[in-house]
Amino acid sequence: MTEGSALVPTASTGGPLLTVTDLEKHFPVRQGILWERTVGYVKAVDGVSFSIPEGKTLGLVGESGSGKSTTGYCILQLLKPTGGTIRFQDTELTTLKGEDLRRARQHMQIVFQDPYSSLDPRMTVGSIVAEPLEVHRIGTRKGRTERVRRLLEVVGFNPNFTNRYPHEFSGGQRQRIGIARALALSPKLIVCDEPVSALDVSIQAQILNLLKDLQRDFGLTYLFISHDLAVVRTMADEIAVMNQGKLVEVGAAEEVYLHPKDEYTRALFTAVPVPDPRRQRERKAERARLRLDRATGM
Amino acid sequence: MALLDVQNLKTYFYTREGAVQAVDGVSFSVEVGRTLGIVGESGCGKSVTALSIMGLIPRPPAKIVDGAVLFDGRDLTKLSEHELEDVRGKEIAMIFQDPMTSLNPTFKIGTQITETLRRHFDISKAAARLRAVELLEEVGIPDAAARLDDYPHQFSGGMRQRVMIAIALSCQPRLLIADEPTTALDVTIQAQILDLLERLRVERQMALLIITHDMGVIAEVADEVAVMYAGQFVERAPALELFDNPEHPYTEALLGALPQLEGSGIREGRLTAIPGRPPDLVDLPEGCRFAPRCPYDGLDSCASRPQELREVRPGHLVRSAHPASARGHAREPVAT
Amino acid sequence: MAVNPRQATTLQPQTAAPPLAETAGAPIRQSSLWRDAYRRYLRNKGAVASAVVFLIIVLYCLFIPGFWFIPGIWTTLFDIDPNQVNFAEARLPPSFEHPFGTDQFGRDLFTRVAKGGQVSIGIGFAATIAILLIGVTYGSISGFVGGTLDNAMMRFLDALYGLPYLPFAILALAIIGTVNFWTMVLALTIASWFTAARIVRGQVISLKENDYVRAAHAVGARWHRVLTRHLLPNTLGVLIIATFLELPAVVLGEAFLSFIGLGINPPDPSWGSLASEARQGYRTHPLDLWIPCLFIAALVLCANFIADGLRDALDPRTRET
Repeated sequence: MTEGSALVPTASTGGPLLTVTDLEKHFPVRQGILWERTVGYVKAVDGVSFSIPEGKTLGLVGESGSGKSTTGYCILQLLKPTGGTIRFQDTELTTLKGEDLRRARQHMQIVFQDPYSSLDPRMTVGSIVAEPLEVHRIGTRKGRTERVRRLLEVVGFNPNFTNRYPHEFSGGQRQRIGIARALALSPKLIVCDEPVSALDVSIQAQILNLLKDLQRDFGLTYLFISHDLAVVRTMADEIAVMNQGKLVEVGAAEEVYLHPKDEYTRALFTAVPVPDPRRQRERKAERARLRLDRATGM
Repeated sequence: MALLDVQNLKTYFYTREGAVQAVDGVSFSVEVGRTLGIVGESGCGKSVTALSIMGLIPRPPAKIVDGAVLFDGRDLTKLSEHELEDVRGKEIAMIFQDPMTSLNPTFKIGTQITETLRRHFDISKAAARLRAVELLEEVGIPDAAARLDDYPHQFSGGMRQRVMIAIALSCQPRLLIADEPTTALDVTIQAQILDLLERLRVERQMALLIITHDMGVIAEVADEVAVMYAGQFVERAPALELFDNPEHPYTEALLGALPQLEGSGIREGRLTAIPGRPPDLVDLPEGCRFAPRCPYDGLDSCASRPQELREVRPGHLVRSAHPASARGHAREPVAT
Repeated sequence: MAVNPRQATTLQPQTAAPPLAETAGAPIRQSSLWRDAYRRYLRNKGAVASAVVFLIIVLYCLFIPGFWFIPGIWTTLFDIDPNQVNFAEARLPPSFEHPFGTDQFGRDLFTRVAKGGQVSIGIGFAATIAILLIGVTYGSISGFVGGTLDNAMMRFLDALYGLPYLPFAILALAIIGTVNFWTMVLALTIASWFTAARIVRGQVISLKENDYVRAAHAVGARWHRVLTRHLLPNTLGVLIIATFLELPAVVLGEAFLSFIGLGINPPDPSWGSLASEARQGYRTHPLDLWIPCLFIAALVLCANFIADGLRDALDPRTRET
């Protein structure tokens, strides 16, 4: 069974898998009743640059409105960037069109945040996971069924339930289905857009462990988008911090967590409550100090 | 005497599939000026507990089948709707999770505040407006007088939550119930809101009952903590004690499953996942409710016996046959 | 530990997959969306009663006079021809053979009302299906493509909305020239496809925001696949409800046109034309007018109740997530 034609060389070159340079996504703001004029732009992503080495995870953190999800969508060409370049191995993604783009999509997939809206309620679990294979005409019907079963097993979902519908399963189980779908085409890069934000803590841990295992077993590269700094700490090798469309800090995870250089990064880190009352009191004092330093009101 | 004393509260939802035992025998008390945090995952019954206290559960299909909610000695479950309305807002106030939907989008916020004030106090519109401006300033909204005439959509999420807090505090309640007050907010705003709540609580000597799924928030604000699972408290202790010496296997697992922000070796490590899923509240197991997911389940036949809450350390109650202190290994504080 | 990317595609993990016991295996609720909806519908007594009455009316119209090659119950039993004029039997009071009596031409009203129902309901269904087809096409293209095309298409629709329904239908009929079953279907369709188009467009626009649509794009699905595989099946619920809302409007439209004489020509009956014929003798024989009118009213009322019941049954808010 063919795995789909490879648009990019399969051997790891050791260089970064993904390099984003000066990425921009500006949304025009239109006004007017009959003739809509563009009165300004919302700069959701405003000059973001980073790269991800193969097999590693870059954690993209920021609060709501920072543009992190938009960045992820731009990389996958789900939104057309208004500026910048995106280099995926040796291919420039922003100039791809049509068939070339479709073929490139096999190498980069996405796991969504909301387990309820990310699966088509009218499709069975089996057809949801099989869809990527169908779209790219990979394998025969029987071969696809077999592959779907294996994919579901790998993500810890009972493969005997391929005839059921998403609404019959819990949030954690649905996320597993979503992950299986993302793995179907054996991508090299997976954008995880807040994959555990909608899950309970105990289920979060299961899914995060699963993502870690999959990365190790299949050599996956992750762009892990999240607002939860603790989650990113456990997943990311490198971390990039976004604020209002701009990248304010990027670097090795340990470095950034222990010695944040940017003021916003520091404010972000001290704001996260940790499950330790004594430590939390210290952090509160730290926060107060930062506030005094900044001397800007809320 | 405790300000709020909940005794063996049981709230069931009667549905086609059967009786959902959302809250099944919960007891706790909140003292004046203290904060109790109820922590648990979704579906454990913590929100229903809060709503039951306020009498805000939909009846039918819900019903408080047993127990008492004593506020200042009065049993709230026995009050009529009319009497409850006098209590709500004035004695006990509640703030909710989603500031988008808890404020009426068609009314100016000034109106929403003055409406509450005039419901409970006999004051003129002008006096109410003045008080409203004071309140907005107290919760840290700049340019308060002008903002009175703005609509909710003209405020950001954090601001809206502040407005909600202002409305809640307008009538000087003695108890504030906060149901996931910061879950929908960005982390920096969350910190500000928690700081605000703490400041106001101390200033007014209010009791605070905070409901959340976030252990970090608990660590930040709670004096005492109750861990809830499948409609019951499985552990209850002062906050420091709980984090230092978690006794119940669920609490331990919950703390172990939390991604750590501080420490070393985090990237390489694995989180302690709790296998399985919380039980269906309609179809609860006969004995211990946590048994199917408990790592100590096989030690003896404790799974078949429903466990009671008992004191294993001073002031520290646990509902388990195998609390950590009985298991024999040394406890280490959670802080790294 | 370096993993050969080629090896990665054969799905042989280097460690065993977590045991299924550790992860939640079985579905947490086993039900079908349709069965849930069916049960919810049954709880609505009014909707159930309406569905029963609706069914009875339809069966009555089909089987009393017969249709296609199937002989009618009444026509064979009593050897009646609904169009046969027979002055000897004019104005008979209701009897067993003629439950509704006979009209001024001696024709049995029981079978005539049923035959009229075939025409009225037939036009109703045919036009409704046509409306839905056109509406779905127009609305889904508009909603799916979005942007300026959507804008243009909707402004065009807004302009058409301004035209009054029945005069528009009359105009359409006048332009077409002849009046028969199919031209009426055409005219009524032309005059009222806008609502369906709008409903479908609204649904498509809101469905487009779902992550599963983005997922389909991310996988490389082409637009027609996204539309037919993901968007349209999820509009099914809304379409079913729209059917039962359009149907009464069309039936009323046909009845009105026939009543004022612009509809089905005699001797073929339709409910509207029956009412029209009964108008002159109303004072002495009110029943002849009342009966077709009551049937129209009953059908319209039932269809509305059914639509209401369906809307509640299929309401995504009460649906389990």
